[in-house]
Amino acid sequence: MTISIAPTQPPQTRSAVAAQARDVVKIYGRGDTAVRALDGASLSIPAGRFTAVMGPSGSGKSTLMHALAGLDTVDAGQVLLGDTDLSRLGERQRTLLRRERIGFVFQSFNLVPTLSAVENIVLPLTLAGRQPDQAWIDELVATLGLADRLRHRPTELSGGQQQRVAVARALAPRPEIVFADEPTGNLDSRAGEALLGFLRHAAHELAQTIVMVTHDPNAAAYADRVVFLADGRVVDDLPEPTVPTILSRMASLDAPALRKKK
Amino acid sequence: MWRLTIRNTLARRARLALTLLAVVLGVTFVTGSLILTDTSQRLLDDQFRTATAGVDLTVRDAAAFDSAMGVEVERDPLPATIVDRIRAVPGVATARPLVRGQGLLSVGGKAIVPSGASVLASWEPAPVGAFSLRAGHPPVTDDELVVDAETALRRHIDLGDTVTVRAEQTTSLRIVGLAGFGDGPGLPNSTVGLVNLPTAQRLLKLGGDVSEVAVVAADGVDTQQLRGRVSAVLGPGYEVSASRDIAASSAAAAKTQVDYLQMMLFALAAAALLVGAFLIANTFSIVITQRTRELAVLRAAGATGAQVLGSVLGEALLVGVTASVAGTGLGVATAAGLRNLAGAFGIALPDGGLVVAPRTAIVAFAIGVGVTIVSAIGPARRAAAVAPVEAMRSAAAPSGRIRTVTGWIVTALGVTALIAVLAGTGSLALVGAAALSGVVGLTLLGPALTPGLARIMGRPLDAAGVPGRLARESAARAPRRTAATALALAFGLALISFMTVLATSIKDSVQQTYTEVISADYVIESARNEMLGGLPNHVHHHVSELPEVAVASRLRYGHWKDGQATDALTAVDPVTLPRVTSLHMVAGNLNAISGGGIILAERVARERHLAIGDSLPMTFSRTGTQRLPVVGLLRDRDAQALSTNYVISLDTFSRHYKENVDASVFVKVADGVSDAAAKKAINAALADAPTAQLRDQAAAVAGRTLMIDQVLGLVTALLMLTILIALMGITNTLALSIIERTREIGLLRAVGMTSGQLRWMIRGEAVLVAGLAIALGVSLGIAFAAGTVAALGRTAELALVVPPGRLLLVVAVAALAGLLAGLLPARRAAKLDVLTAIATS
Ligand SMILES: Nc1ncnc2c1ncn2[C@@H]1O[C@H](COP(=O)(O)OP(=O)(O)OP(=O)(O)O)[C@@H](O)[C@H]1O
Ligand SMILES: [Mg+2]
Repeated sequence: MTISIAPTQPPQTRSAVAAQARDVVKIYGRGDTAVRALDGASLSIPAGRFTAVMGPSGSGKSTLMHALAGLDTVDAGQVLLGDTDLSRLGERQRTLLRRERIGFVFQSFNLVPTLSAVENIVLPLTLAGRQPDQAWIDELVATLGLADRLRHRPTELSGGQQQRVAVARALAPRPEIVFADEPTGNLDSRAGEALLGFLRHAAHELAQTIVMVTHDPNAAAYADRVVFLADGRVVDDLPEPTVPTILSRMASLDAPALRKKK
Repeated sequence: MWRLTIRNTLARRARLALTLLAVVLGVTFVTGSLILTDTSQRLLDDQFRTATAGVDLTVRDAAAFDSAMGVEVERDPLPATIVDRIRAVPGVATARPLVRGQGLLSVGGKAIVPSGASVLASWEPAPVGAFSLRAGHPPVTDDELVVDAETALRRHIDLGDTVTVRAEQTTSLRIVGLAGFGDGPGLPNSTVGLVNLPTAQRLLKLGGDVSEVAVVAADGVDTQQLRGRVSAVLGPGYEVSASRDIAASSAAAAKTQVDYLQMMLFALAAAALLVGAFLIANTFSIVITQRTRELAVLRAAGATGAQVLGSVLGEALLVGVTASVAGTGLGVATAAGLRNLAGAFGIALPDGGLVVAPRTAIVAFAIGVGVTIVSAIGPARRAAAVAPVEAMRSAAAPSGRIRTVTGWIVTALGVTALIAVLAGTGSLALVGAAALSGVVGLTLLGPALTPGLARIMGRPLDAAGVPGRLARESAARAPRRTAATALALAFGLALISFMTVLATSIKDSVQQTYTEVISADYVIESARNEMLGGLPNHVHHHVSELPEVAVASRLRYGHWKDGQATDALTAVDPVTLPRVTSLHMVAGNLNAISGGGIILAERVARERHLAIGDSLPMTFSRTGTQRLPVVGLLRDRDAQALSTNYVISLDTFSRHYKENVDASVFVKVADGVSDAAAKKAINAALADAPTAQLRDQAAAVAGRTLMIDQVLGLVTALLMLTILIALMGITNTLALSIIERTREIGLLRAVGMTSGQLRWMIRGEAVLVAGLAIALGVSLGIAFAAGTVAALGRTAELALVVPPGRLLLVVAVAALAGLLAGLLPARRAAKLDVLTAIATS
């Protein structure tokens, strides 16, 4: 029972909220060394939009993303993907949910070294025993400019190409939501811009919901909206961001955060 | 640096644990074998020394040699009058006549058949006699018997019981005493019956003769001088020996079986260690690949290549020493178990306190430490070659071209040698050389061949979808690792298949020649499978007189010496033999042996360049060197069916041999008598010979192949250890490769691989490695068995027979074991936390 919606279909047919975190708490360790990585974080991810998550290092961005993506469990609060309450799912169900409904792009090491580019792209589908939608894959490959690289192994691809393959892999099953944790972190600015351009394209033209964690204001400016995290909580929300507006928000957030750390 | 080494080893103890275990098992095997054989040899030495402890000289009938193929020759008895002549020699304190022979004991109608000898001897008090009374009194009258305390205990024999003794004559005697031997309660694996001298002479039909005379020198008399004097008095025809020398030579004869066992155990230990060496080399190279970055940092910080090399070898030394200590300890513990195992497969060894010689510990350490260090040298040199700038890269080094080329050359040499052997021009030594270069060549070639092989063999895994494909790729991607792991198992499997095919081929040819040549309906043989047959003389007599039997023809075996070499011959009755066999004479005719001549197998005649009319010099124990005229040539197959290359007549045999036992009695049933009736009559006639067994053709063949089965069983059981080590290798390699692939596994899990799929991926790889090993091992085993059969076939009738059923069983067990080997790593991989896996850098 997979959602297969034509890419041109308007975003409204999905529930307007693609994913949601409600008062999520995540604690690492216990006793004296316990760290509250998430401390009552609440966030709604609107469907068909490109959302960026920013915040100082250690503020809980990755933790929140992992919770939303069903990669990890939370200690309190609720995580919803569409109407599904992830906190009620077992390990196996979360695995199945990940491969059917969620796409990922990590900062690095996104690809299985023994598989070719195209095999990596269709990996979640083959794992699920599903036939890939060839037209859709072709379109992704063409848009990402990977057509002549499909037979190559990851080690034979540049960092930018590898990340584009990872993006294609994330979008291949037409997931409800794609998470990207600093996808441009290891790329030079040109390769990074190409990738960000594609992510925005996917959100706007293909109605793909995308959440991206980043440190880079230039990258965040590609998004439709920027959410700011500090000390495990969502502290700000900036719609229609531009580089200057992001920088000024960051400046105002950084000062207290830094003070608190000392 | 040394502190760092110790810390490194301890930190990696989990990864090194299985390596350690492999070395421990190998060392255990070596130690256990050494202790077992040392112990057996010491016990045999003790036993024979005890037997002659109180005696200085022994006088026996002269013989050209004492023993052949581990069997002491029988000598003519001595006249009793000789005792007084010896006593008269100045310097002789005591001269006592002794009678010794074989006498089977039966209690309550049931024969006691030990795996060793059934000793019957005249009682002689200490110090001349080695037996001492534990209960009761010595045998004084003609109806009294003393048995060893051990047998009495096992068979619940008490003083006053009646025991039947079957020697040349059968009598029932009353137990009046129980005797011990030296400090022990009896002789290992034997029964002992002691009677007074006249009874012993009567039972063994010696008349007034005696077997030997034991001489004790007077105080202060030199034994060697006395020996000369006694010899001079008695003249030729008698042999006067120092008892100590006799003990040593008897012990040496008894030890031949232990020597065979020792050789076999060492060969198997070597196999186990070879497999272990692969495992060690593999583990070290994986650990070092994983540590490349750390090593590079060390190098950048100023460590020299030599220091890095030393550090890695230091780790190996630690592992080797630890394993040797544990292995030596375990070896002591398993020696007794090994003895029981050998016993279960028909190789009886004496039981007694274990002998742990310092040499054993030294060998164990040398081997344990040596194998570990030698195996670690390759990886250590690679570690030392890590450049400081290599910090970030850990791409697997491509297998060297020189290595591959050398591998091809060595393998090609091996294949050529094997082909030469198969074409019928090679010897066993050439098969050995081919096997050696095969092992070396394949070891060198492994990494180059593995990717292709893994991809082809792994095809079926594709049916399991992505996990299967990934399993295949993972095996192909780390060729060095996969090759070493698979080769270790392959060598173990090759040995097992080799033994299986060879044993089957030999058994098959035994059966074929036997059924083709022997036309007798039944054969009577001793159930004990003694070297010379051991069937009492009277069996033939009784059976041939039965009206149900048309003809009974007997065969005897004897040993003779051809220079230093010992050979065997068969004595037959030329009149009756043709009625129970279909022999094909190539030249001459069977009857000609009646005149005292010999018939040779055709092949032997060719090798010795002998033809009818020539003569063959043969040395017999009793009559010395004699020239026997060659009177005929026998077809090789027929000679093999009679277990001989040399055939003489029974009359000639009795002239040269004292032995009075038959090897086989072939029986043809009279016309018109039903099988059942014949069987019943024959069995009734055998009532007086408890060890005699009536066998039809199938049972006769089984009796002849029993030893092959036993050796095969023992070797297979011991080779299982090798397989076990190899399987630990698979487990170890996979566990390490999982650590190496943590991130990849994390990624796969993140994008939706279920833990079930992940488990199948790891197990799939394990099965694939096992599959590679099976394909290689079984084909190697069959190829070298074929080579061996071809080489042996030049001197014996032998054809290759491949038993599909048994080999399939080997394949199935190995595949299943491969699956089992993957279980643990698969579980470990499935338990990896997705997030930590992703975060691992
Ligand atoms: N496995 C873990 N065990 C213990 N603490 C953890 C673990 N993972 C994260 N943390 C802690 O939780 C907090 C949030 O970590 P998280 O990785 O979410 O931060 P982040 O915002 O992604 O930072 P960065 O920008 O550096 O990636 C940090 O203080 C971190 O030290
Ligand atoms: Mg992070």
